Amino acid sequence: MVAVRPIHRPASVTGWIVPALLAACVIFLVVGSLESSLFAQQTVSGLANGGIYASLGVALVLIYRATQVINFSQGALATFSTYIAWQLISWGLGYWPAFLLTLVIAFVGGILVELVAIRPVERRGNVLSVVIASIGVLILVEGAVGWIWGNEVKFMPSAFPAREYHVGGVAFSMQDLGTIGVSIAAVVVLWAFFRFTKLGLAMRAAALRPEAARLAGIRVSWLLSLGWGLAAALGAVSGMLAAASPSVLLQPSMMDGILIYAFAAAVLGGLESPAGAVVGGLAIGALLNLMGSYVSWVTPQLLLPAAFVLMLIVLLVKPSGLFGRTRVRRV
Amino acid sequence: MRTRASQLCVVGVAAAIVALLPFGLSDYHRSTGADVAVFVMAILGLNIVTGYTGQISIGHGAFMAIGGYTTAILTHSHGWNDIATLPVALAIGFCAGVIVGVPALRFHGAYLALVTFAVALAVPQLAENYSHFTGGTEGLALPTQSGWWLYGVAWACAAVLYATTWVILRGRTGRAFRAVRDSEVAAVSSGVSLAVHKTLAFGVSAAFAAVAGSVYVLINNFVNPAVFGLQLSLYILIGAVVAGLGSLWGIVVGAAFVQLLPLGLSSGSIVSAEAVPVVFGAVVIAVMALIPRGSAEVLRAAVGLPVRARSSHTSTPPSLEVR
Amino acid sequence: MTSRTRFSLVIAALAAVSVAVSAAMAATTASAPGVTANSITIGGTFPLTGAAALYGVIPKAENAYFQYVNAHGGVNGRKIIFKYYDDQYNPAMTVPLTHKLVEQDHVFADYGSLGTAPNLAIRGYLNKAGVPQVLVATGDSYWGAQYKAYPWTIGFQPDYPGESRVYGQFIRNKVPQAKIGVLMQDDSYGQNYYDGLIQGLGSAKSKIVDVEKYDATATDVSQQVVKLKAAGANVFALFALPTQTIDALVVATKIGWKPVTFINNVSASPLFMGLAQQSGANVQNDISATYLYDVWNNPSTSTAKSYKSIISQYDAGANPLDANVLYGVASAWTMVQALKNAGSTPTRAGLMNALTNLNTTNPFLYPGVKLKTTPTDRFPITQQILEQYKGTAWKPFGHIFANAK
Repeated sequence: MVAVRPIHRPASVTGWIVPALLAACVIFLVVGSLESSLFAQQTVSGLANGGIYASLGVALVLIYRATQVINFSQGALATFSTYIAWQLISWGLGYWPAFLLTLVIAFVGGILVELVAIRPVERRGNVLSVVIASIGVLILVEGAVGWIWGNEVKFMPSAFPAREYHVGGVAFSMQDLGTIGVSIAAVVVLWAFFRFTKLGLAMRAAALRPEAARLAGIRVSWLLSLGWGLAAALGAVSGMLAAASPSVLLQPSMMDGILIYAFAAAVLGGLESPAGAVVGGLAIGALLNLMGSYVSWVTPQLLLPAAFVLMLIVLLVKPSGLFGRTRVRRV
Repeated sequence: MRTRASQLCVVGVAAAIVALLPFGLSDYHRSTGADVAVFVMAILGLNIVTGYTGQISIGHGAFMAIGGYTTAILTHSHGWNDIATLPVALAIGFCAGVIVGVPALRFHGAYLALVTFAVALAVPQLAENYSHFTGGTEGLALPTQSGWWLYGVAWACAAVLYATTWVILRGRTGRAFRAVRDSEVAAVSSGVSLAVHKTLAFGVSAAFAAVAGSVYVLINNFVNPAVFGLQLSLYILIGAVVAGLGSLWGIVVGAAFVQLLPLGLSSGSIVSAEAVPVVFGAVVIAVMALIPRGSAEVLRAAVGLPVRARSSHTSTPPSLEVR
Repeated sequence: MTSRTRFSLVIAALAAVSVAVSAAMAATTASAPGVTANSITIGGTFPLTGAAALYGVIPKAENAYFQYVNAHGGVNGRKIIFKYYDDQYNPAMTVPLTHKLVEQDHVFADYGSLGTAPNLAIRGYLNKAGVPQVLVATGDSYWGAQYKAYPWTIGFQPDYPGESRVYGQFIRNKVPQAKIGVLMQDDSYGQNYYDGLIQGLGSAKSKIVDVEKYDATATDVSQQVVKLKAAGANVFALFALPTQTIDALVVATKIGWKPVTFINNVSASPLFMGLAQQSGANVQNDISATYLYDVWNNPSTSTAKSYKSIISQYDAGANPLDANVLYGVASAWTMVQALKNAGSTPTRAGLMNALTNLNTTNPFLYPGVKLKTTPTDRFPITQQILEQYKGTAWKPFGHIFANAK
């Protein structure tokens, strides 16, 4: 580790860049939507997709904050949880009871994964070994889904009624609004948890200064497991939102593409900020749709590279992400 | 003295095994052996940039793609001789590595991981887009080669790159790489240019991966974007960690692990096809739990080299921490 | 005995054993590979895991039919052994697995392998080795069109341009005020359909108002569908894979757009249509084409019953109402016919001869659709019938038409 005291740049110098950039984006979207209902429709569907990236991104941030590990298996765990929900529903359980039971199962599952696959590696290895173990979990869990439930695509009902509202030529479905709403709600709940509860405070302490936290009597390793459990539960929500959307079919590989953008959203937002992941996710969702729609030289294959180039530009200006704290390394 | 002799002995025996093995194998197994050499080269490359210089990369599949497409396009559309394309792939790979390495200077840890991740995803998309040159999703077909020829070419390249790596790492450049990995502050204070060496590490690493990609395409006599998906980059990373970052000892073990195990499970009919990823994933986790620092430590112990102390300065993989 | 003599004896013994073993191996490889007195081994590569895994039902259905045939006497007394491996739709896995099938498993033929790129990757190798590459599961025209260069290769299903040509002709003749919007995959798969559509439209191709494309890795096509509606299209040519097809249908309904919709056969399985409906899509009166037996509207005929019993007995986890499962059985039936006509002791040349001289009726195809090939016309199925979605099933209508080359 670099033994340098982190210096936080004074707020006056760079503090205004990110809020200004975000404000400019919001103004652009609102004005564009008022001008053209096509633009508005693209923005709405884009934000809906973004909500799904955001919810998985928040789960990634949760684990990264606690353990400095990029959890590659986040999407696969979400898929597994979603299949459990599907199974419960097909056994006759109602949607909401199945949803809640799935959250509990996912929470327990996340803890189990941490205990069985991560902790043994962490004890004797280092961060990169844990990342590889998480890749192992990804391969195993995605394979397990196909093995247990088969590869045939299945139908997953939605939490939201299939009602559409048409406002000024733009169709909003409850599904879209619900997805965005749930992602934002998840962040708010998390923020409240970390800020106002003793457990949340203990988790933050364990993540920032594990040795000091141990000295203060906090059971750090137990809190890490808890973090994985919470992240898995969040991931389950993300999976169920995704499977209910028309563009994602319930199949073992369903979260693969989402994980890519969730990771990008988390990094773009600043890996330690759940709010950043949500902003990042929504931004990426809207960007993909609008760029695909309006920038004609961006062919369908160039869409992903172009989106990543834009993200890279943002990160070059702000290497620790939109809401990450800049740390200067004096060398 | 004794340690050096036993090291040379091990290297000699290993080389002899590699040289003699194809005589006892079927043609099919020879081309599988050639695939292992491909991963040896890719992992060598990744080890240079991640294990020795401390910059994480989950994008090496992209550099393999660049080399692979170079060879395919030159051979298929311009009638080049296959072997002649390898140095070209090396050079183009180096340039690509430098192009990625320059912006990468700005990032560390998980942020760098994302940048390389983006590269891994973007390159196949670019290949699909410029289908006039690359054949798009239908790709380019190359003439088939005998297992002998593939094995020979692949392992010859691997041997050359292995030797090159050893030479580089022994010298000033190698020491500079390690210095950058272990402590950037100390490196700069000693006059090592961070920018030059980090970019150089990326360049060399990408060049190796490009050659690996070229040989990969020759073995499969086909190229299309699906050949270089994200899974390839992840497998190279797994292979490098199983090999043991920061050491040259375990490379072949890591390469064999990621190439032979999934293939063996898929075609061995011991487990059903759907169960293969479950088994492979479980094995990866188990390997990480048992030898988290990779096989290199085990091998070093076996030949009598001192096991590296577990201070933060030796065999330290790149931290994903932001700070 | 001196140690030197002993040593020489050991070497001589080893040499003798090696010669004997090689001779034995050579002996088994002299006769048609994969054929023994009581079995024929065939093999193929399929995406059993990964993003294309929903096609993994096909080899299982094919194997079910082979097991049914084995239980009823096999092929001239020989049981069919079908080895299929998972290539995850990645040609870098298809190639080594195919080498294994040919060189280690000694398959008689490469049967039914799925995917255009995977089959292109192994075509050169198989043809060079004289291994039949038959009834490949892709609708590209290569397999039938390039037989002179690749005589060991032959396809099965009607090719994509042929199918969309019929849609084009239908639009030209029956939809006079058409304003056509096309959604296609931005690669040769989509291009195939588009080319056929243009040919079928003829002079009506000026009625195309917008063409939107998507990348195969993108699952959401809402952006493209929104634009097609905005361009004023009242005919929707939907040339996409199942995931994107379902998404497009749901989004179209959501934004209040109900054009005359043409769905390509690959994505029109009742399984996918059902998923679209459950997600809220209005797919009534959408049009597609089929060549398979209509087991959905004729559930009690002897063909339908025998099909369902084969599946329930030998592939119990499969959904017989998934058109991909029926496809597998139809393809397997064709292979069994060809094997029966490949000679009393089947040879590879005999197999190709049987497959390039087909003239028969496959019970699992739509009545009237024939399996017909000649040595110079290597498209086994070239007829289809249009179908329209009513209620919860496809209803064929009109006459069987031929996709003339």
